[in-house]
Amino acid sequence: MIYGTEENRNETECAGFVLKYLEKQGAQARITLNKGCINTICLLNGKTDRLQMSNDRALTIQIYHKNRYGNFSTNRLEKGELEKFAENALRATMLVEEDPARALPEKELYYRGENRDLGQFDSSIFTIPDERKKEIVLEICSSMEGNRYLVSAESEYNDYLDYQYIIDSQGFEAHSLQTDFDVSAQCSVRNGADARYESSWYESAMHFRKLDYKRCGIEALERGIAKFNPAKVMSGKYNMIIENCCASRVVSPVINGLSGSLVQQKNSFLAGSLGKRVFGKNVTFKDRPHRYGMAGSRYFDSEGIATKEMTFIENGIINNYFIDSYYSRKLNMPVTVESPSVPEIVCRNESGNEFRGPRELMREMGNGILVTGFNGGNCNGATGDFSYGIEGFLFSGGTIIHPVREMNITGNVVSLWNNLAAVGKDPLKWAKWQIPSLAFENINFNGK
Amino acid sequence: MQESFASLFGVTCSQLQKLISIAMEEGGEYADIFFEYTTANELSLRDNRINRAGSHIDYGVGIRVIKGEQTGYAYSETTAMPQMEKAARFAAKIASSGKTLSMPAALRKIEGNDFYPMKRDLESFGIEEKLPFLELLDRRIFELERRCTKVRATINDSLSKIMFFNSYGEFYTDTRPLVSVVGSATFEHDGRLESAGASKSFRAGAEILSGPLIEELARAIAAKGAFLFQARQPAGGEMPVVMAAGSSGILLHEAVGHAFEADFVRKGTSIFSDRLGMQICDKSITIVDDATLAANRGSLNYDDEGIPGQRTCLVEKGRLNSFMHDRISAKYYNTAPTGNGRRESFRYMPIPRMRATYMENGEFSREEIIAGVRKGIYATDFSNGQVQIGAGDFSFYVKSGYIIENGKLTAPVKDINIIGNGPQALGEISMVGNDRTIDNSTWTCGKGQYCPVSCGMPTVLVKRLVVGGLT
Repeated sequence: MIYGTEENRNETECAGFVLKYLEKQGAQARITLNKGCINTICLLNGKTDRLQMSNDRALTIQIYHKNRYGNFSTNRLEKGELEKFAENALRATMLVEEDPARALPEKELYYRGENRDLGQFDSSIFTIPDERKKEIVLEICSSMEGNRYLVSAESEYNDYLDYQYIIDSQGFEAHSLQTDFDVSAQCSVRNGADARYESSWYESAMHFRKLDYKRCGIEALERGIAKFNPAKVMSGKYNMIIENCCASRVVSPVINGLSGSLVQQKNSFLAGSLGKRVFGKNVTFKDRPHRYGMAGSRYFDSEGIATKEMTFIENGIINNYFIDSYYSRKLNMPVTVESPSVPEIVCRNESGNEFRGPRELMREMGNGILVTGFNGGNCNGATGDFSYGIEGFLFSGGTIIHPVREMNITGNVVSLWNNLAAVGKDPLKWAKWQIPSLAFENINFNGK
Repeated sequence: MQESFASLFGVTCSQLQKLISIAMEEGGEYADIFFEYTTANELSLRDNRINRAGSHIDYGVGIRVIKGEQTGYAYSETTAMPQMEKAARFAAKIASSGKTLSMPAALRKIEGNDFYPMKRDLESFGIEEKLPFLELLDRRIFELERRCTKVRATINDSLSKIMFFNSYGEFYTDTRPLVSVVGSATFEHDGRLESAGASKSFRAGAEILSGPLIEELARAIAAKGAFLFQARQPAGGEMPVVMAAGSSGILLHEAVGHAFEADFVRKGTSIFSDRLGMQICDKSITIVDDATLAANRGSLNYDDEGIPGQRTCLVEKGRLNSFMHDRISAKYYNTAPTGNGRRESFRYMPIPRMRATYMENGEFSREEIIAGVRKGIYATDFSNGQVQIGAGDFSFYVKSGYIIENGKLTAPVKDINIIGNGPQALGEISMVGNDRTIDNSTWTCGKGQYCPVSCGMPTVLVKRLVVGGLT
């Protein structure tokens, strides 16, 4: 148990002890206690490969002293050690230069508590027998075994318990508790040639009874076998569909570009874009941080600031940046939130039609390349220029022709999101970022 | 046992022996205990002022039990005996039968080297001494490139104290320093933004920070910023690629390095699984993974399972000579461990990982190699890479370079991804330069857990790779 025990009370007392010590020295502070517990069982080819138990705890101490700032952490929670650590931390902070923007947030921004439970905790985590966990990984592994192409099969079960407690010098005090249960299957398959094709699948749930693990192994296996006999494709402009499981890769440059920190440092291609239409009219991004039972949902961010529903891009227009209290003062802009909690894309399909997933999107787009994974690459945050390696399938007439190999996509984030043609309705239910499959037109693919 | 370390972790020899006995009591074949006390400091500059200090302590012990190829692992963030005994009991569960082996009564120190002696210790290296370096870096970038509008810089230093003990009665202690300076800047010209960065990192004491090192970084960042205003994304497609000496070592790391890690080989998932002893590329190519380079970010006196740091020749004159082994894979292949058993911290079990991976020199000059290309890319500055171990497809990102036309460097290029197939790319290296350079940037390898590494390369010509670009 990491919560509600004597040990936990001692740890929260430690947080209070450090806060009082620092306040006595004339400083303000925010103390965050993070605890985590993970249990892992991993099978390789039907045999237990790895058993692991992890218990973590750490105290993070953020000190604000006369507009100076320091960020410290330790997992040594004995009071004698802590006092010495806090004393050294304060001394280090006092050597930093003054920055008028460094201070705790304005108190009226704090979360005030008493909202309904977000449905992120399952107490059955304490009672699930080890035998049941083993049954699950064994079932996943068994579902891959016996296939004639299989080289190796791995399955893994993890359960997580995360606890966070925050206390600061302005009276903010709150805690959160989350559970997570996940399973994964990974396989390597081969059809005679040297190449072995790897594939994996992952399922997750915040409540054990909702963990949908039955098809995990089969999904990994089928996706691996589908990669056999890939062929290089000619360079050119193609329609591109990105499957839901990897679509966040093209969303993250947009989210990063809205970061107050990067905007203030002029290190974002979206700096100076507030109120301007940058992306296609069919592009709308929202953050819905209070969705019940979602992994990223939260009532307060790491500063204790209350989260709220927010549209950060509306019909292609930049409505909001992600601004915490520090960058609010630096940029002279109102605080929004440090980062999105449960971002989702709410895009209109121009045709008025609805598409469930990649299959329907392929039918709509006719020809192109379905991207099912990324292989490296990067995006230049200052310019929005990107180049990513991809894996996936060439499709024509709405159906898959063959897997592709050694291909890149190259372009700019702004032009990419001006070429959004259609979206699916299939965000993964467990994902923190609710991004469905996406279809784009006119994308530069580099092949042979 | 070194008294100062035993006292640091508050344990005695008899307690360690008791923990090993508990770990082995279910029939484990091998057990080890890995103590770690890491202090990491950071000091950051933004908007022309030192605006953030930080210090982080990570303390704990990991206990591992091996039975065949199976591993039980648990860790504790305190070194009180009840918590360590609980961890040992959990790890022991991996074995459920078998004879309980007794450990030797006599302890034996594992002999190692000292690849990172500290002339100026890090524990007394205070903020006042670091400040001037950050201020100098900030000032010099602004002086060198008038289009600079923002500079961000950080000095990170850490010191890890390690104590290791295993069921063979072997032990070692090690003190691992790591010092890094990371700088980046934003440049603005006619409303256009560009961002460039560079870093230096060493396993060394505070003596490594110097005015010349900061000047080298400042010049690199300013030059990259200026370069980017001239550069464009080129036309993409399949073409010859000349990899500049130094950070192009990421080609080795991604294209073949991971596939030589013996855990992937043991599971049969590596594309090189069946090719040990075979000629896999031209005889001019020798590839090494090395823990013995002085002050190198990837160097280790001992790996994290008690094997002395060593140099491992992976490919010798084109022949696949060795994989990178930890204890489990070495036992499986009936060979000696190569000192590649590494872990991010006591929270992780060791697995085969790279250290400093580089290619040895060949015979050609850089100019000769470029002159041999009619139309291609000369790639000079690299960042992240990735590989699919089984299929062998790898990629890495080129931050800057040049187009080669008729043997001459012409237009500057930037922001392109290069993708290829590892065994094929290795087979298509047709010229190897004589200018091998080890790149001392802050390379960090991710394989479920992070480890500091480095890489190096002479200039090489790869006859054919897919270059990202516009069409």
